[in-house]
Amino acid sequence: MLDQIVPALPGVGQSSPVQADATIRSRPVAPSEASNDFGSMLARMTTDAIDTLKNAEAVSIAGIRDKASVQQVVESVMAAEQSLQTAVAVRDKVVAAYLEISRMAI
Amino acid sequence: MSDPLQISQKISAAGLDAQSHRMRIIAENLANAQSTATTPGGDPYARKTVVFSNKFDDVLGTNIVGVDQIGKDPAPFRIERNPNHPAADANGNVKYPNVNMLIEMADMREANRSYEANLQMMKQSRAMVMMTVDLLRSS
Repeated sequence: MLDQIVPALPGVGQSSPVQADATIRSRPVAPSEASNDFGSMLARMTTDAIDTLKNAEAVSIAGIRDKASVQQVVESVMAAEQSLQTAVAVRDKVVAAYLEISRMAI
Repeated sequence: MSDPLQISQKISAAGLDAQSHRMRIIAENLANAQSTATTPGGDPYARKTVVFSNKFDDVLGTNIVGVDQIGKDPAPFRIERNPNHPAADANGNVKYPNVNMLIEMADMREANRSYEANLQMMKQSRAMVMMTVDLLRSS
């Protein structure tokens, strides 16, 4: 699910109603770009969240193979859960904002 | 990483790790409470001690607790007379480990309580993060 958010992020940045500047709209936002607009901020957040999830998976597997302690497994899975919850909450907000705009009376 | 709540969770996780190491040492001490030497007059198992220290973690940019060193208790060994024992010296005395069950039990309880405290700390900071994220959701 998170993987689907990342490619959609440039679109999110473009549909932002506060960006009246046409140059920002036409430019795709790369996650690595160190710009400060909303889209790239979201992209960075999502990349972090994905990293946390991947780390949790790796540590869980290491835990099953007796290579990581219970504390490490629980801690990383909890961190992953937290970032997933945050990502879901932010996504819901973004979608809600998008729908709000699409319902705008013209 | 700069979120203080997440850092506090990591610090608590380090505390859990330290306390579990302490538990391991206590288990070793208890398990070896009767471990004598195999040679006549040799030294038996010496009680292990664990030292914690506050170390700087580069990734977190803060201090976390960790096991600094595992030392040996210099207390004198318990001596019992048992001439038939393989570890008995010329006088028939055997050195037994300087492990005191009562001290180990008290230590174990303390490790247990510290573990609990760290868990509670983790729970609370997690609850605070979740409360804040819920702010996004329920409006």
